[in-house]
Amino acid sequence: MRSNVNNSRPTIFIVDDDAAVRDALKLLLRSVGQAVETFGSGQEFLDAYAEDRPGCLVLDIRMPGMSGLELQERLNEKHCILPVIFITGHGDVPMAVEAMQAGAVDFIQKPFRDQDLIDRINQALEKDNSNRAALGERNDIRHRLETLTPREREVLDLVVHGRANKVIAADLKLSQRTVEIHRARVMEKMQASSLAHLVRMVLEVG
Amino acid sequence: MTLLRVAEPQEERTERLEREFQAVLDAAVDAVVLFDHDGRIELLNHAGERMFGYNEQEVIGLKVGLLLPGPFGSHKEGEEGAHDEADYLSPYIEASEPRIIGMGRELLGMRRDGSEFYAELAVGRVQGTDPPRFAGFIRDVTVRRNAEEALRRSEAQLSIAQEIANLGNYVVHFDGRFEDYWSPHLYRVLGRRHGGGYMGVYDYLATLVHPADRVRWQQVRDELEAGARSTDIEYRIVHPDGSLRYVHHIAQTTCGADGRPLRQVGTLHDITDRRLAEDEARQMQDRIAHFGRLSTMGEMAAGIAHEVNQPLTAIATYAQACQRLIANGAVAEEDVGVALEQISAQALRAGEVIRRLRSFVKNREVRREVLDPNRLLEDVRTLAQTDVRHHGVRLRLETTLQLPSVQADAVQIQQVILNLVRNSIDAMQAIAEAQREIVLRTQLDSDGDIEFMVADRGAGLDETRTEEFFNPFFTTKPGGTGLGLSISRSIVRAHGGKLWCGANPGGGARFFFTLPALPASAGSSR
Repeated sequence: MRSNVNNSRPTIFIVDDDAAVRDALKLLLRSVGQAVETFGSGQEFLDAYAEDRPGCLVLDIRMPGMSGLELQERLNEKHCILPVIFITGHGDVPMAVEAMQAGAVDFIQKPFRDQDLIDRINQALEKDNSNRAALGERNDIRHRLETLTPREREVLDLVVHGRANKVIAADLKLSQRTVEIHRARVMEKMQASSLAHLVRMVLEVG
Repeated sequence: MTLLRVAEPQEERTERLEREFQAVLDAAVDAVVLFDHDGRIELLNHAGERMFGYNEQEVIGLKVGLLLPGPFGSHKEGEEGAHDEADYLSPYIEASEPRIIGMGRELLGMRRDGSEFYAELAVGRVQGTDPPRFAGFIRDVTVRRNAEEALRRSEAQLSIAQEIANLGNYVVHFDGRFEDYWSPHLYRVLGRRHGGGYMGVYDYLATLVHPADRVRWQQVRDELEAGARSTDIEYRIVHPDGSLRYVHHIAQTTCGADGRPLRQVGTLHDITDRRLAEDEARQMQDRIAHFGRLSTMGEMAAGIAHEVNQPLTAIATYAQACQRLIANGAVAEEDVGVALEQISAQALRAGEVIRRLRSFVKNREVRREVLDPNRLLEDVRTLAQTDVRHHGVRLRLETTLQLPSVQADAVQIQQVILNLVRNSIDAMQAIAEAQREIVLRTQLDSDGDIEFMVADRGAGLDETRTEEFFNPFFTTKPGGTGLGLSISRSIVRAHGGKLWCGANPGGGARFFFTLPALPASAGSSR
């Protein structure tokens, strides 16, 4: 059971108040075979975007109403992991710095070379892909943990803390044999190939 | 004093002398007291009775120390016995000279009521008596002493005041009969140590005046020596220890009947702290103004850049998309058609931004008024004063009197002149301060128009390239916008004049512009 992971084709979301720039970008990205959706304002994007959709966001930093930086902030609040590439004007370096500090993956000054933009978009898509894979894996681990019984969970906690079966048996007032059975069950349910693998999975979901 | 009398009986003579002696005593203004070698009082005259508040009979046989308890400062309040022994009298008593042996000694006198006063005492030994007897003449000098004390106090206060104000004063005698007077604090103001030989104030100052202020200073000195009544000048001096000070020098000359200067009194006020504070405040102001200008310009520039950048970005992106579509062989005619249409629309949009910008600049409300050309220069001088002084530049006006009026927007023309002055200041920063001078001139040109000139002694200019200066964005200054001269020329042209420049024959650059002169009637009727 893998939830919260959307395996649909990645989409490039473009948010720019300037229709000409928006449409030109759409045509350019379509010419290299990308799926593109455009929005005229940050709010329009927020209303339409479902968080699990993979891709990247190409965002104009200067916009009337909600600025690019504000949109980025709203997305951060929602723990949205969509990578953001900012398009900046000539004098916007301080704003770009702020955007990078807030987690943007990149920024590009306009007017720009098409190849530069395309390269950055590809990098952002790769990053989104690996982010989502990691996120998916964490979700899987959480689901597996949920299948453990309370007793198995207790045994797991002691195992990952490095206790020997004999110690666990004494702690939980069980026979060593019973501990061994629980432990084998935990390994199976967690799909762990080794003790090290088990420990890594538990650490990953904190 | 010996009175010569002939054939007088001894007894009569003695009586007469006694009467005369008594009359002299009674008439004396000073107190007279006779006392013996033990200091016991034998006689006190009327004046003495009045001075000390005693009756003669009360003091006879008492010690003279009762009246004259001792020298100044030796007597202390409540110290018993201070006037029992008048030790200070013993030198008189022991001295054997048969004449007045003490004169003009100042003592403390004490009245019957205990109050004290300053007394001057002269003591004479009465001749022919053994053991010796003495006559003391006592004068109350309280008034004189008080006057002296007041003078001393006022001198001390003046000295303190000078110290607090960091101000010194002097007196110079031009006739050479007396040496110049230096007030004690003047030494401090001029960084000179007390002692050392005599030196005339101006001769000493001449060694201190800052090289860049020397010409101006010498001019003032010459004027004063030639009989100018007064002066008021600020300049810099360099103390012998090398520190730079600003002084405010005020002087007033007194002339004799023949008009020749006799004497000059003056003050030199060290205003360094004030000047530094002023300079700091001005720098702060300049910086704020500069940032203000920068931020307005910067915001406008960023706005324009954004406005033009949008269509340029769209054009570039459409063109690149078309290239890719063609390269891919995936050309959809419709896509390319839309792209080309957009490319041309966006190019027009960029042009529109620039057109709007120009009309925005042009359509500023212009207020034309009838103005006096010289008044324009004077206003600019006031406006530029701070800037000019701050950069060590002299600003000189060479106005032609009685020029026709012009019709102009005062603010705009002032901006043009200020901009030229500003350029001149910048152009002269590399040269010695003493040579930094800007001349503002008005005159009537051969066409009957008013010609304004701003001339400097800066780096000058390449006369073959002068037209380039007026191109927008041409600049030789780091941080310059390159718009100043271009805008200035637009303003002058809008007023029906022209703006040009050339080399200054003596070095530096000259910028000229003209404004049409109004017919005389228009100027006067308003």
